[in-house]
Amino acid sequence: MDYESAAGNKSRLVPLKTTLEVETRDRVINVYVNAIPVKQASNALSIIRRLIPNDGGLDLQHLRRFVKYDDAPPHVRASISETRSLVTPGPENETPKELIFIAGSVDSISKESLIEGLSSISNPVCICSIQVPLLAPTSHEQAAFWTSRYWPTVYKKSNPFGPHPSIVSRAEEDINEDVEKWMALADGAAQEARATGSGEDIGVVIVTRKNGIARPVAIAGDARWLDWPHSSRGNVAAHATLRAIAMVADGLRARDEDQQGVSDITIPADTGIFRDQPRMPTEQCRSPIDDDGYLCHDLEIYCTHEPCVMCSMAIVHSRFGRVVFRRRMPSTGGLCSDGELGHGLFWRKELNWTLLAWHWSSGTDSIGTCGVESDLHA
Amino acid sequence: MGDDSPLTSKSPPPPSTPPPVSIPKSASQCMTPSEISTHVQFMREALSMADLALQTSETPVGCVFVHRGRIIGRGMNATNRTRNGTRHAEFLALDEIMRARDGKKPRYAPETLRECDLYVTVEPCIMCASLLRQVGIRKVFFGAANEKFGGTGGVLSIHVGNGRKAGDGVEGVEVEGGEEWERWHRDDYEVSGGWLREEAIVLLRRFYVQENDRAPEPRSKKDRVLKLEVEPMGEEGKMGDGSAS
Repeated sequence: MDYESAAGNKSRLVPLKTTLEVETRDRVINVYVNAIPVKQASNALSIIRRLIPNDGGLDLQHLRRFVKYDDAPPHVRASISETRSLVTPGPENETPKELIFIAGSVDSISKESLIEGLSSISNPVCICSIQVPLLAPTSHEQAAFWTSRYWPTVYKKSNPFGPHPSIVSRAEEDINEDVEKWMALADGAAQEARATGSGEDIGVVIVTRKNGIARPVAIAGDARWLDWPHSSRGNVAAHATLRAIAMVADGLRARDEDQQGVSDITIPADTGIFRDQPRMPTEQCRSPIDDDGYLCHDLEIYCTHEPCVMCSMAIVHSRFGRVVFRRRMPSTGGLCSDGELGHGLFWRKELNWTLLAWHWSSGTDSIGTCGVESDLHA
Repeated sequence: MGDDSPLTSKSPPPPSTPPPVSIPKSASQCMTPSEISTHVQFMREALSMADLALQTSETPVGCVFVHRGRIIGRGMNATNRTRNGTRHAEFLALDEIMRARDGKKPRYAPETLRECDLYVTVEPCIMCASLLRQVGIRKVFFGAANEKFGGTGGVLSIHVGNGRKAGDGVEGVEVEGGEEWERWHRDDYEVSGGWLREEAIVLLRRFYVQENDRAPEPRSKKDRVLKLEVEPMGEEGKMGDGSAS
């Protein structure tokens, strides 16, 4: 997206777009705009309210109704002056004290009725049709982009298609404090997995945050090649995300056993598909779980790569509160809505759980999948 | 499953056979009676795993993996017991398969799964549908559709092209069988839903009238009434309950 690539090389959190945002954000409609003298603004509005009551059912609150001629996007000014030269042949005599205003959508009224209605306040009537965004923008960046591309657009700090912007920005304040630390830890687990040959260069850290204090409760590297034949595509159940979730579950069970005395649960050794035990030095550097958690309720998960569809849904099933990843996996990732798959699993109304999700974009290295094949399922 | 697990020590009572058996409409048109009875038989095995899950306070979803006409792995939901929301029946069954040993040697190679069919009582969720895709399953037979989490048609269709939406002109470029098409579709698998769906749904309803005391703020289910009649199947076995599978 043009307005997203404008950021510099400094690392920053980019909230993911939901599927609804991606599907609806580029929808545009055609509206008639008209140039009128400044002093006719209120007359124009009352004429339009009579001609097209309630804007024909459209919500145009996110668009500026009146724009000074000089503030309109160049292509709108060009259309207006072209129309003017057609209606009044001869040398241009336009006055700078003019407004351009949105009359209504082309579906709500015919051009002829509009010209007739507006002839009392401007003569000749210079109407042309332009494209404007149908729905409200969901960020300042999007509003700025639309303002230059279509028509001056207002961002009102709301998002009907995803988490409320104030919730996202409050969460970002928390995460910005220490995201670098958790990503470094996830990188460490990834490098150990790669160096020992037990897995791909992928790592995950699960963090609990209570009263402003964040602690890692599980650290896992990928282990798809651990005790697994290289002729295959690797052990799918040993992806870093699934391993880390299992480590949290082990912690919850251990605490249950402490409370209940004797255990009635036997945890099988890692001989089948599960690789739940911490193995590498980095994987041991974690704090015990001390609260009464239900699954991974409201925990945070930091991933070196965008998780695959399986792991993304595992994050939803486990009731995480926040997920942050560093490198996008456009062909295989399950979280993004604007990748090749477009599943946007972090926030879909059909599912019974939604969470906040960010791409931690650190300038150069977020482009490309870095260290792993692009077709790999992280 | 270890030798001391309840799975081997206590076999569940054989489910009674209330005729007529519910099978997908398409099956009755294009399968022989003997093929149908084979699929029904394997689905009964999956149902008995689901029943076992119910007896141990787990969401009653069960499955079996079949290789060359023989069951090589069984699984049931274990999310409560393990405190792990990802321990669905399919994972447990795969674990059993890869755990099997002949002496010290693994009995099955990962490639064996490419020749396996799965019978599962509820449509696989999005997570499991992706798991099955990544291990290369051949075909999936399921009982009840899963409108809340289903990954093989319920919510997404992971079994076809990893659920990628067609359109945006990509279909025109990707000639079927071409390189780009192959990249997206080489792990596709067939899916057939609606096998013994009534039995699967009744098991789920039995579970939902029990208390799930591990969920946050348990809600009283005393007023819930167990409903045993199941509405007739829609297109291919839709059901409203939805569940972890």
